[in-house]
Amino acid sequence: MNLMETTLAAIARVSKVDVAGIRADMDLVADLGFDSAKALELLVELEEALGIEISDEQAARLNSVGDILAIVETMGPSTQPPPPRG
Amino acid sequence: MTDDFSSLPTNLREALRRAALDFPHRGIAIFDSRGRSCDRRSYAELFELATESAARFAGLGVGRDEPVLVALPTSWEWMEAWFGLLMRGAWPVASSGAGAMAAAEAQFDKVDKVMAVIGARQVVASEAFRAQAGEQGFRFATGGVITIERLRGAAPATRGAAATGVSDGGDVAFLQLTSGSTGLPRAVMITHQGAIHNPVASDEAIGAPFGEPMHRLAECMVSWLPLYHDMGLIGCLMLPMLCGLDSWLLRPEAFLARPRLWLEHLGSHGVSFAPAPNFGYQLCVERIPADKREGLDLGAWRAAFTGAEMVRPETTGAFCAAFEPHGFRPESLRPCYGLAEGTLAVTFDVKGSGVRTLPAPSGTDAGFAMTDVVSNGVPIRDTSLRMTAPDGSVLPEGAIGEVCIKGPGVFRGYYRDPEATAATLKNGWFSTGDLGFVADGELYLTGRTKDLLIVHGHNIMPDDIERLADSVTGGGGLLRSAAFSVARGAAGEQAVVVVETADSNPERLAEIGREIRVRIGRTMGLPLADLVFVRRGRIPRTTSGKMQRGELRQHYLNGTLERLHDGPTHETAPHDAGTEPRP
Repeated sequence: MNLMETTLAAIARVSKVDVAGIRADMDLVADLGFDSAKALELLVELEEALGIEISDEQAARLNSVGDILAIVETMGPSTQPPPPRG
Repeated sequence: MTDDFSSLPTNLREALRRAALDFPHRGIAIFDSRGRSCDRRSYAELFELATESAARFAGLGVGRDEPVLVALPTSWEWMEAWFGLLMRGAWPVASSGAGAMAAAEAQFDKVDKVMAVIGARQVVASEAFRAQAGEQGFRFATGGVITIERLRGAAPATRGAAATGVSDGGDVAFLQLTSGSTGLPRAVMITHQGAIHNPVASDEAIGAPFGEPMHRLAECMVSWLPLYHDMGLIGCLMLPMLCGLDSWLLRPEAFLARPRLWLEHLGSHGVSFAPAPNFGYQLCVERIPADKREGLDLGAWRAAFTGAEMVRPETTGAFCAAFEPHGFRPESLRPCYGLAEGTLAVTFDVKGSGVRTLPAPSGTDAGFAMTDVVSNGVPIRDTSLRMTAPDGSVLPEGAIGEVCIKGPGVFRGYYRDPEATAATLKNGWFSTGDLGFVADGELYLTGRTKDLLIVHGHNIMPDDIERLADSVTGGGGLLRSAAFSVARGAAGEQAVVVVETADSNPERLAEIGREIRVRIGRTMGLPLADLVFVRRGRIPRTTSGKMQRGELRQHYLNGTLERLHDGPTHETAPHDAGTEPRP
């Protein structure tokens, strides 16, 4: 899977919305029913799948599917192994 | 030791001093935002830190009995600020800092409102918080923020100028923020006596099934609850400090990102106990699937409390089934009931024989979708409970009425809000706004008289949601909305908004509906389970124009609310997927 497919698959899994129905302009809370627990679940899933780290400041600015795709594109995937989990 | 109720410390400053002297090997361990590394310091070190920062707060001109906000995440900076203010004799007011999914602007707006309501001049926050609030034009950012850097750089006041005087137990120790019915926050005045008696009496109740106070048996508390929440502050910080236990503190975000962390730490620092709202247990069940439970050993977790929102038997049952194979003892899971106005705890299950229920009697709120109601146990020491009818008369055992409480933990009143205080606090009895009954001396909750949503343990006033919905324009004139919650199985309470409109164009309504969801989502981080458009005049009101949300909710539950347009409401019902069949 490429970067976008991995990201969309993660969003679909966390929101329990079919991946075919997910569009870039969708709002995470309004359209996909995300609350803070689901948002953090998604961030962890993306970080682990792509080996990236999204800061709290970056996370606070993610409102839409497009925002997530944009940030993931600028960051990864890195060639480094994922950071250790504690 | 701390279980002698005749020799409790008289105020929280003395309590911290005693902890530093009496429990030199105990302390607080705070994890970073990811829950990876932790910084552990003893109560003696906390005492030193707080004493020093108290002198610096005095040097900055912070006075005795002056409320000062603390808008920092769970961290040693938080401890330095909160306990520093306490040692100064000022009133620390823990306020939520910026969290995931809540717009920074909404956080600034809240801080701004709280400062106005309680007349606070200063808020302790990070430099990033100050800078961003300043960019967005919030007035408090100019001179009203004490950053940690500014605090540490301040010259300490001389001993005389920093003197706090001696606080009587009945004096106010700090303010606890809660939601007010007008859409403005309310500040609950917590006394030194309440903040000391309540956790120590809780320790006694928690230990009841073991025949001794819990601190004699346990090593530590492990918590992810926010410190601006009464259960986090009193239950997970004051209790361990007063009783000489270690406190392991995770940030809420670290738990939400990786719920397994909480369980890992509950199993690895000796005999432990911990509270959480129902939602926390539900999250563990859903997010730690069977293959991820391997390696967990929960045998040391001897008391698992569930409170702060309606306890759902389906959740407690699922949690026990999931984690019993990993050492969790089902009898450890014990419901409790409390609220900020009671300092924290009111009742605890003291039998320790698992979650016990009765069939829901007629009169149980249908919106909570419960076939069984849960015993929340008996009042803690020196605390009384009674149910009253709407006319104020006291009801006999078994009858459903408003839960009223009296005892040393009951608050002094809402700060600078004598009307709200007089309406709820009479002759020492606080009317909680919760509905329930007593059977065999134990409290069962059946509903609520107050218009309040409790989502994931957080109290939300409907006014806050309605103001955002009403701020959306279009649809042929002003919108008027009403918000309430309904429960869907183990997912607990979820928000529903009903909007009155003169428009009936489905496309425009869909657009307005989405805008309402976006606005509520961005500002409050709250997804709506349903959004219903109705014709003007369908939201019931009294003759004086007061909205009757309870009656509206009943129409909604009965299916007698005539929807104008179903919009996107059923496409994305967010929480129920996976826990129950879609409607």
